[in-house]
Amino acid sequence: MPLDNVVFWVFAPISVGSALAMLFQRNAVHAALFLIINFFTIAVFFLVLGAPFLFAVQIIVYAGAIMVLFLFVIMLLGVDGNESLIDRLNGQRPVAIVLGTGLVLELFFAIRAGIGFSAKAPADFDAAVNKGGNAAALSRVLFRQYFFPFEATSVLLIVAAIAVMVLASRQRRAITRAEQAAEERSARTPRTEPA
Amino acid sequence: MLRLIWLVPALPLAGAAVNVFFGHRLGRFAGWLASATVAAGYVLAVIALGDLLSLPDHERLHVTRLFHWIGAGRFSLDATLRVDPLSITMVLVVTGVGALIHIYSIGYMEHDPRFARFFAYLNLFVFFMLMLVLADNYLLLYLGWEGVGLCSYLLIGFWHDRPAAANAAKKAFITTRIGDAAMLLGIVLIWVNFHTLEFGNVLGPTRSSGTGALPSTGAYTAISLLLLAGAVGKSAQLPLHVWLPDAMEGPSPVSALIHAATMVTAGVYLIVRSHVLFEMSGTALTVVMVIGLASAIYAALASIGQFDLKRALAYSTMSQIGFMFFAAGMGFYTGAMLLLVCHAFYKALLFLTSGNVMHGLDGETDMRKLGGLRAEMPVSAMWFAIGALALAGIPPLAGFFAKDHIVSFAATSGRSAAWVIASIGAFLSALYIARPLFLTFFGDRRNQEHAHEAPRLMNAPLALLALGAVTAGLVLGFTAERGVLDRFLAPVLGVADHGTHGPSEIVLLAISVGLAVAAVAVAWWIWASRRVDWQAFPERQPELAGWLANAFYINSLYAWLVQVPGKGFGRLLATFDERAVDGAVNGTGAEVRQASRFAPLIQSGFVRSYALAFLLGVAALLLFLGLRF
Amino acid sequence: MRTPIAYFLIVSAMLFSIGTVGVLVRKNALIIFMSVELQLNAVNLALVAFSRMHDSLNGQVLAFFSMVVAAAEVVVGLAIIVNVFRRRQSTSVDDAAVLRG
Repeated sequence: MPLDNVVFWVFAPISVGSALAMLFQRNAVHAALFLIINFFTIAVFFLVLGAPFLFAVQIIVYAGAIMVLFLFVIMLLGVDGNESLIDRLNGQRPVAIVLGTGLVLELFFAIRAGIGFSAKAPADFDAAVNKGGNAAALSRVLFRQYFFPFEATSVLLIVAAIAVMVLASRQRRAITRAEQAAEERSARTPRTEPA
Repeated sequence: MLRLIWLVPALPLAGAAVNVFFGHRLGRFAGWLASATVAAGYVLAVIALGDLLSLPDHERLHVTRLFHWIGAGRFSLDATLRVDPLSITMVLVVTGVGALIHIYSIGYMEHDPRFARFFAYLNLFVFFMLMLVLADNYLLLYLGWEGVGLCSYLLIGFWHDRPAAANAAKKAFITTRIGDAAMLLGIVLIWVNFHTLEFGNVLGPTRSSGTGALPSTGAYTAISLLLLAGAVGKSAQLPLHVWLPDAMEGPSPVSALIHAATMVTAGVYLIVRSHVLFEMSGTALTVVMVIGLASAIYAALASIGQFDLKRALAYSTMSQIGFMFFAAGMGFYTGAMLLLVCHAFYKALLFLTSGNVMHGLDGETDMRKLGGLRAEMPVSAMWFAIGALALAGIPPLAGFFAKDHIVSFAATSGRSAAWVIASIGAFLSALYIARPLFLTFFGDRRNQEHAHEAPRLMNAPLALLALGAVTAGLVLGFTAERGVLDRFLAPVLGVADHGTHGPSEIVLLAISVGLAVAAVAVAWWIWASRRVDWQAFPERQPELAGWLANAFYINSLYAWLVQVPGKGFGRLLATFDERAVDGAVNGTGAEVRQASRFAPLIQSGFVRSYALAFLLGVAALLLFLGLRF
Repeated sequence: MRTPIAYFLIVSAMLFSIGTVGVLVRKNALIIFMSVELQLNAVNLALVAFSRMHDSLNGQVLAFFSMVVAAAEVVVGLAIIVNVFRRRQSTSVDDAAVLRG
C-alpha cells in the first residue's frame, strides 16, 4: 500500500474522532486538548498534500499559539467546570444534529457530482509548483501577487493587538454622585467632631 | 300693462330685499313699505285686468318671456309669465287680500322686535305665490311652489324660540315635502311624455308628444295623481293634512294669508290649471272628488271637537278646501274657483278677527276661557259674525252662493250619493263655524281679564274684507251657470255640464238655506243658550270627545308609523355603526395586537437559536444550489 | 499521491459539520469559539486539497491568510469573552439573552 494512503487512513479517523470527542467533552480543558490533537492531524494532511510550510505554520500558530491562548483564558476564568447536559432550548439539539447530518450529506453529493471519488491529484506537484521548495515558491507568490493583502493583514494584526489592549484593560468603575457625596461627608466629619 | 306684468311679483321681491338689509333702520315704515309693494301690485293687476278685458273672449291670453332660464343639453326652458283669466283672478286675490293683511300686521306685530323681518318674509311669500300663479310652465310653478313652502316654514316658526312653533314649522315643511317630491316626479313624467313643460303645449289643443301621438291614459293618470299628491300636501287634505292645525303656532296674519287665503289654495289652483290632464285620465278626477269630500267631512267633525279657536278655524279651512276639491273633481272648476275667492275673504276675516281676540286678551285662544266678548269687543264680534255667517252659507253672504252652487251641481249632475254627503258637509260647516262665534263672543264670560278692542289700524282692513265676504258671492256668482266669474273663466276652464237630474233649483236652494239656518240654530242652542251643558260633554262622553278633539288620532297614527320604523332604522344604523364600523376598526387593531403577540416568540434573545435559524438558511441555500447545478 | 482528493474533501466536510453542530449545541462560549476554529481549519484543509488538485499555490496562500486572520480574530474574541465574563460571572451563552423581545 502506498505511504500516503496509509497515512491518510490512519490520521483521518483520528481527525474525525478527536473532533467528535471535543464535541462531547463537558470539561472545557479536555475539549481544548482534543482540539489540539485535531490540529495536529490536519497539519499532517497539509504535509501529505504538498504544503510543508503550512504544516509547520499550523503547528506553530494554531496548536502552539492559539490553543495555548485558549487554555490560558479557560484557566484564567476558571470555567473548566462541567457544563450541564440539559439544553434549555427546546428542540435545539435534535434540529442541530439533523442539520449537521444534512450538511454532510449535501456536501458528499456535491463532491461526488463535482469531482468524483476517483480523481487523483496530478503526480508531479512538487516539480511543477514547489520549485525550490514550498517556502520559496510560496514566498514568490506571496510577495508578488498577494503583496497588498499581505500588508493589509499585517495592519490587521497590529489593530487586533491594540484592540485587545483596550478591551482587556480593567476599567475604573464610574463613581456615582451618591457615593461621591458619601465620600466627602466621611472626609469632613472628623474635623467637626469634638476631640 | 300686460307686458309689464313682471312688475307685480318684482315689487314685493324688492320690498323683501329692502326689509332684509335695511329693515331694522326703518321702524314702522318697513311695514308700510311692504304693504305698499303689495298694494301697488294689486293696482297693476287691476290695470292688467282691464287690458285683458279689452281683448275678445277667446284671445284673453298674454305670455311674456322674461329670460332664458335653463339650457342643459336638450332641455331648454324660459322664464315666462302667463296672464289669462285664471291667473289674473289668483293675482287679484293674492295681492288684494294680501295687501289688507299686510296693513293689519303693522298693528298686530307692532311690539315685535323682529318687525321688519316679518314683513320681509311676508313680501317674499307674496313674490313666490305670484310666481306660482303667473308661471307659464310647470317648473316655474314648482319654483313658486317650493318658495311658498319655504316662506310658510319661516313664518310658522317666526317665533322660533318657542319649541312648539319650531316643531310646527318643521312638521309643515316635511309633510308638504312628501307631496312636493311626488309632484316633482309628476313634472318629470310630463317632460318624458310631452317633451315640454309649458302650459300652452301640455294643456293646449296642440298638445303632442315627440312622436305626434297622445300619451296613454295610464300616463295621464300617473301624472295627474302625482300632481294631486303635491296638491294634497300643500292644501292640507287627507292624508297629508296633519301640518295645518299645528301651523297655527304662527302669528294670526300668517294664518290668514298663507293658511286660509293663498298658499293652501295653491293646490286647488294646480288642479284647476291642469284640468285637461285630469280629464284625459278620468280616474284621477274621481280620486280628487273622493279626497275632497272625505277631507271635508273629516275636518268638519274635527273642528267641532277643538277648543283652540285657531285650530278650529284651521280644520275649517281644510274642510272648505275639501269642498273646492270636490267641485273640481266633479268637473265644476269655475265653482271651485268661486269658492276659492269667497273663502279667501271670509276666512282671512275670521283669522284676523281671532287675531284681534288674541291681541285683546294677551294671546288667549282656548275657547273654554273666552265667552261673552261681544260687550267689550263689539267691532270684532261684528266682523266674526259676518265671516261666520258667510261661511255657514246664509244668504245673501258670499259663502251661500259658492257652496250652494257646488252642492247643487252634485245633485243636478246625477251624483246623488255625493250630493247627500255634501249636504251633510254643508250642515256641519255651518255648525262648526257658528260654534266658535257663539263660544267666543256670546254666552257667559269665562275669563276675568279685561279685553280691549283692537285699534283702528287693525280693524280698518277687516272692514274691506267684510265687504268682500258680503258682496263677493252676489257679484261674482249670482247664478251657478252664468255668473260673472263663470263666464270670465270659461275660456280657460271650460263650461261645466250641470245636467238636469235631481230636484229643481228652487228645492235645492231651499234645502241649502234650510240646512244652514238649522245648523246655526242648533249651534245657538248648544253653545250660546245656556240650556245645554256643553262643558260637561268631555266628561260624560270621554271617548267621543277624545276622538273629536284629537282629530280621530291621525296625528298619533302618523307619529307611530314614522316613529317605529324611524327608531328601528336608527337603532339598526347605530348597531351597524357600533358593531360593523367600529368593530372593523377596533377589530383590526385587536387583530394586529393579537398577531403581534406571536412575533416576539422568535425573539428569544438566545444566540444559539438565532444561529440555528441562520444555518438552516445556509443549508437550504446549499440544497437549492446543489439541485440547480 | 494515490489518495483521491475527494477523500480529503470528505474529511473536511465532516469536520465542518461537527464544528457546526458544536456551535449550535454547546453552551459554553469558549467551546463554541473552539468549534468555530474547527470549522476554519476544515476549510483550510479543503483549500489546500484543491490547491493540490489544480496544481497551483493559490489555495495555499488563501489558507495562509485564513490562518492569520483567524489568529487575530481569536485574540479579539477571547478579549471580548473575558470582558463579558467579568460582567456576568458566567460564560454560558444562554445567559446573554438581554435582547429578548
